[in-house]
Amino acid sequence: MFAQVLFSGLALGSIYGLVALGFAVVFKATEVFNFAQGMLAVCGAYFAATALSIWGWPFPLGVLFMAGAAIALGVAIHILLIQPLAGRSMLAVIMVTIALSIVLRAVIEIIYGPQGRTLTTPLPNGVILIGSLRISQLHLTAALVSWACMAIFAAFFRFTSVGLLMRATADSHEAAMVSGVDVNATNRIAWGVGSLLAAIGGLFLGQLQIVSTDLESIGLLALPAVVIGGLQSIPGAVVGGLLVGIIEQFAAAYISPKSTDIVIYSLLLLILLVRPWGLFGAPEGGRV
Amino acid sequence: MADALYSKTTTLVRARPVRVWRWLGAALFLAFLIYLPNVLTHRAAFGFRLTNTQLLNLGLTQINLMLIAMLGALSLNYLTGSAGLISIGHAAFYATGAMTAAIVGTQWSWPFPLALLAAAATGAGVGVLAGLPSLRVRGLYFVLSTLAVHHIVVFAFLEYQFRFFDVVGVPYEPASLGGFALNTPTRWYFFLLPFVAVVFFGLRNSLNTREGRAMRAMRDHELAASAAGVDVRILRLKAFAFSSAIASMAGALQAYFMTNVTSETFGLDFAIQFIAMIIIGGLGSLGGSLVGAAIWLLLPSIISGLSPQAGHAGGWLGALFVENKPQLVQAIFGLLVILLLIFAPGGVAGLARKVRSRVVR
Repeated sequence: MFAQVLFSGLALGSIYGLVALGFAVVFKATEVFNFAQGMLAVCGAYFAATALSIWGWPFPLGVLFMAGAAIALGVAIHILLIQPLAGRSMLAVIMVTIALSIVLRAVIEIIYGPQGRTLTTPLPNGVILIGSLRISQLHLTAALVSWACMAIFAAFFRFTSVGLLMRATADSHEAAMVSGVDVNATNRIAWGVGSLLAAIGGLFLGQLQIVSTDLESIGLLALPAVVIGGLQSIPGAVVGGLLVGIIEQFAAAYISPKSTDIVIYSLLLLILLVRPWGLFGAPEGGRV
Repeated sequence: MADALYSKTTTLVRARPVRVWRWLGAALFLAFLIYLPNVLTHRAAFGFRLTNTQLLNLGLTQINLMLIAMLGALSLNYLTGSAGLISIGHAAFYATGAMTAAIVGTQWSWPFPLALLAAAATGAGVGVLAGLPSLRVRGLYFVLSTLAVHHIVVFAFLEYQFRFFDVVGVPYEPASLGGFALNTPTRWYFFLLPFVAVVFFGLRNSLNTREGRAMRAMRDHELAASAAGVDVRILRLKAFAFSSAIASMAGALQAYFMTNVTSETFGLDFAIQFIAMIIIGGLGSLGGSLVGAAIWLLLPSIISGLSPQAGHAGGWLGALFVENKPQLVQAIFGLLVILLLIFAPGGVAGLARKVRSRVVR
């Protein structure tokens, strides 16, 4: 029981970590607290469902389509909604992402209907038995792909010139601008990456459950994940995602399925009161 | 210091005729408000029958729900627009009020006015608790703490509902003031209208007291305000208690008005709608919150009123109106909020101010 719950918690947590990583990339670059991140995951799931289930494209092509559409969506959001609000109050920026998720949900439900869709992919979905431990291959694939994506993006930030520019911009907009970095272009890339990571998470969530707009609430678990991990910290987002996944599974198994939200959000409140900068973040100094 | 900066601008130069027009306008508006339930109940004005379309498909029930939502929007705008504290936990205070009303009203069968007062008191208490993180964290982190409070309170409501009632929801007794039963929409209307008016003018006046000015100073510059001798910590808790007491009363009113409430009523969408209302109406403008609440509550039924015509028109648009009405409403609201945020940050109140400064010299 314990190992079983731990495994599914780790697997789900990997997906949350992926979505949370996308969230943290966007937050670090543009300081936008993106309440639409859950909806971006839903959009990814629907992009995949459109290409694979409706048009019947082969799997690799469908995934490429999903990635392209997700990046385009992220970039479009930055150009149309975030850039015009530069320098405005936090409430305006938060609210625009909330309004965006309302619009996206409405548009998806108008196009695809309110009921969910099944997503069929050639990913393995059998069960491996190790002793008494049942390991779902889909869970395992999801976890492995999530870890691979995280590694790829860590390498991207660490070793490529674009990654370097993004880190520089995130550290200080002004300094990057003075050094000749096109800050807006860099931030656009950050939004593209954030949306792409959410979409990959959405692909797996849609596969594990059913593709519908209700996936948003699962995608939104990235929110407590990043805060618990530390808003300014990229590894924190990953660890936070894992923690949220594990806590959710244990709360569902040992307390009650209804109690998952309250356990996660109580932990969030506790973290906010004791260590507002999260497990991995650095405390922010106040400025006058 | 704060007093001098935020004193009310007095109208010294305004000529006398303007004031007369203003009184006349107010009197006409009052007459309209008093006559409105008559029109909506009998579907006729001055003896002329009006069609559903001419009445914009509105009924008195929607107007009453709008009045209750106005209380929520007013209290949130007081908190966010005037005290500068962003909260996405407003649904939690509604839930607090509804739960208190269920305990004292349904279970202990206290009378309705006492249940309202109890809701206000509990709301203030929960508000202080929810505001406690504001002593420690700022800005974004505080917003998140209100989100956490939202989830905790809604969970408490869910547990309460399933322990004492069932999946159908929490029932409420018919509301009555002494011997006067609020059993028709018109009676509710004439109870809610003065209620909203009292809250509106109360909040407006409170913003011009010392505390109110200190609060606005705190919103604009916390450090400057505390340098001027304002204890911002206490002030934040007070603002939170006051705002959530009103929201909690609104929750109790909504519960009594609907006579049955489930935990699903108070989801995150419910909290977000109040933020949308004050953004549509204009942040920091109490009058704007009334307009925002009116738009948010009345637009859906106006759109459904238009849908038969659009359905007859046929084609793509007709199908959209008939089959996807709720989604269409959501999309319109979302786009409205986005457009206002980008092009008119002051909301409807800001636009009105702009128009007035263009037209009036």
